[in-house]
Amino acid sequence: MQHGVKRISLSEQARKEKIQRDKLKIANYRALCKDLLDKKDKDVRDIATLQATTDLLLKNPEFYTIWNYRRDIIVALVDAEKIKKKDTLEDDLKLIVALLKRYPKCYWIWNHRIWCLDQLQQTREANWNVELAIVSKFLDLDSRNYHCWQYRRFVINNMEEDTLLESSESSNLGQKEARALLRINIEEYKFTTSKINKNISNFSAWHNRTKLIPKIYDLFGELDTTNDHADVRHVFARPQTILQHELELVKTGMFMDSDDTSIWLYLQWLLTNPFFVDDLRKVSPTCYLDVLNAQLAIVEELNELEREDHPKGWDHRWCLRCILLIKSLIREETSEIGALDDMSRKMLQSLTEIDPLRKCRYLDQLEGTGTLSSLAF
Amino acid sequence: MTQLFKQKHVEYVQNLNSQISQDSYEYWLLEHLRLNGIYWGVVALATMDNLKALPENEVFDFVLSCWDSRSGGFGAFPRHDGHILSTLSAIQVLLIYNRLDDPKVVDKKPAIVKFIKELQLENGSFQGDRFGEVDTRFIYTAISALSILGELTEEMSRPAVDFILLCQNFDGGFGMVPGAESHAAQVFTCLATLAITGQLDRIKPEKTAAWLSDRQVEGGGLNGRPEKLPDLCYSWWVMSSLSILGKAHWVDFTGLISFILKCQDPNGGISDRADNETDVYHTCFALAGLSLIEMSQKLKEFGLVPIDPVYCMPTSVTRKFTNYTQQ
Ligand SMILES: [Zn+2]
Repeated sequence: MQHGVKRISLSEQARKEKIQRDKLKIANYRALCKDLLDKKDKDVRDIATLQATTDLLLKNPEFYTIWNYRRDIIVALVDAEKIKKKDTLEDDLKLIVALLKRYPKCYWIWNHRIWCLDQLQQTREANWNVELAIVSKFLDLDSRNYHCWQYRRFVINNMEEDTLLESSESSNLGQKEARALLRINIEEYKFTTSKINKNISNFSAWHNRTKLIPKIYDLFGELDTTNDHADVRHVFARPQTILQHELELVKTGMFMDSDDTSIWLYLQWLLTNPFFVDDLRKVSPTCYLDVLNAQLAIVEELNELEREDHPKGWDHRWCLRCILLIKSLIREETSEIGALDDMSRKMLQSLTEIDPLRKCRYLDQLEGTGTLSSLAF
Repeated sequence: MTQLFKQKHVEYVQNLNSQISQDSYEYWLLEHLRLNGIYWGVVALATMDNLKALPENEVFDFVLSCWDSRSGGFGAFPRHDGHILSTLSAIQVLLIYNRLDDPKVVDKKPAIVKFIKELQLENGSFQGDRFGEVDTRFIYTAISALSILGELTEEMSRPAVDFILLCQNFDGGFGMVPGAESHAAQVFTCLATLAITGQLDRIKPEKTAAWLSDRQVEGGGLNGRPEKLPDLCYSWWVMSSLSILGKAHWVDFTGLISFILKCQDPNGGISDRADNETDVYHTCFALAGLSLIEMSQKLKEFGLVPIDPVYCMPTSVTRKFTNYTQQ
C-alpha cells in the first residue's frame, strides 16, 4: 500500500546502482529475519533476542509477527523477573514515539503502544497525562490523523476509568468522580475548540464535539452545586443554550469558508439531533421553529452574498442544500408533510446543475424515493 | 488518458514476484503483506478475466505454506503468525481458484474455523489476533471468512451486528470502533457485514448513501472523510458501499472514471493519485471499482468481469455460496 509516494523512473545506470546498493541491505535484512524466526520457532525468550527484535523493527515496523514475538518475550522475561516490567515497557514507549515520527499511520505501531499501556494499566502504572501530551503533539503535526484521534479517545477512556477505579467503593457516581469526569471532558471540548480555531475544516474535531457535548451536559446534571467551570457553565445550562453557542461558532465558520464540508455537517447535527430538538420543544411550542427560521435567514443571507460573487449568479451548493433541509424541517414541524412542494422541487432542480457530481442523487430525490432526513444531506 | 491498459496491468501483476522486483530492498520489506498482495493480484487478474496469468499450482502451494499451525490461521508469509486479515486473503484466493475442497485445505478447515471463532470478544467485536486490537475491519473479515466457509451462525453474527450498529455516527457513516469518526473504508466493512448477515434494514440507507456520495470531490476522485484529499482506493470503498445500498449512481461516473484512468502508469500498475508510485493494492481496487461502475451503468466499456461489492470477488465465484439477496 503506497500512499503519497511520487512515481520515479530510474535511468538504467541509477537502477543498476540501486541493485548493487540493495544487495547488501537485502542480505543483512534476510539474515536478521531468518535468525529471529528460527529463534521464535524454538521459543527462545532472552534479552539478546529482545534486542534483535528492536533492530528488525527499526528496519521494518510493519513486521507484525516480530511485534508479536517481542510481546511474548517481554511477558516471559518479566515473569521470570529477568527484566523490570515498568522500565521495559517505558523503553518501548520511547521506541514507539521514535517510530511513529517516521510512520505515523502504521497500525501495528499504534497497536503495540496500546498493548504496552494496557500492560502498565493492569498494575496502575500507566501515565495517562504523558500519553495525552504525546498524542497532542502528534496531532499538531497532522491534525486529521485517524489513528491519533482514536488513540486520544483511548487515553481519555482510560483517564475516566482511573477516576472511577479510585472511588470504586460506592456504586453510584459520587460528586468527586463526577467533577473529575467533567473536568476531563471539558478539557477535551476545549481541545476541539482550539483545533477548530486553528483550522475550521478539521472535521475530526467537530466529530468529537458531537460525542462530548451530550456527555458534558449529563455530567453537569450529576453535580449538586454549580460552582465549577464558570467559563463554560452557562453554555451547558441546557441543550438550548449549548445550541445557541455552537450555532454562533458555525455561523462564523460558514461566513469564513462557505465551501467547507465540516461546518455544514455539524450544522445538520445541531438542527436535527433529538438532544437539541427535544429540549427546544420543551422551552416553548414555537422555539424549535424560531431557531429554524433564524438559521434559514442566516443561510439565505450567505447565499445572497455567494450569488453576488458568482459569475453566473448561481446559488451556493451548500447554502442551497441547507436551505432545502431547513425548509423541509419547518414544513415537517408545521405538519404540512406530504409531497415535495414546488419550492423544494425548484431547489433540487438547480442543485442538479450547480452540483453535477451528485446529479442522479438529486434526481432520485425529485422522484421522491428519498426520505426527508436524507434531503440535502 | 481515456483507455485502460489492461494488458500492461496483467503483466504488472505477473511481474510482482519477478527477479527485478526481488532485486529491490523494498520487496523484502513487504513480506508481511505478501498473501494479502496475492489476493489483490488475483482479484485484479480475475476482474480482467485473466486468472491464468498466474501459475495456479504455485499460488496454491504458496497459500498453504502461509498456514500457521500454532494459531490455526494463515500468516501473510511462511513462518509469519496467523492473523485474521491474511486468513481471509487465503480463503478468498483458494475460493477463486476453486480449491477450498482440496484435501490439503479440508484437513486444516477445523483449525481455521476455530481460529476465527475464538477471536470474537464478549461485546460481539473481533480482535485481529490474540493481542486484542479491535476494529470493524476485523468483524467484516471474520464474518466474510466464516460465511465463505459456511460456518457463520446466528449466535456469532447477532452480537457482531449489534457492535457494528454502535459504530454508526450522526452523519450516517461508521467508524472503526464506537465513538470513532466516520471513514469510508470502515463504512464498507460495516455495510458488507450487514449485507452478509441480512441486517441492512437496520440502518437508513439514504443517509449513509448521501454521506458516501459527498465523498466525490472536484476532479472526480473520492476521499475517505470530509475535507481530505481524494485517493484511488476509495473508488472501491465508496463504490462498493454505494452498490450495497443500491445507490452506485449517486456519484458522477465520468469524473470518477477519468480520475481512475489518470492514476495508471502506462507501463502497468495503478497508484493512489496521478503520477504516484503504483502498487498492487491500488491496482486491484481501481479495477474492482471500475467493474462496479460498469455494472451500474450496464455498459461494457472496459470489458471487466462483474465484481461482488460485498466480497470483492467475481460474482461468478460468490454466487456459489451466497444466500443474501443482492440489492
Ligand atoms: Zn489508497
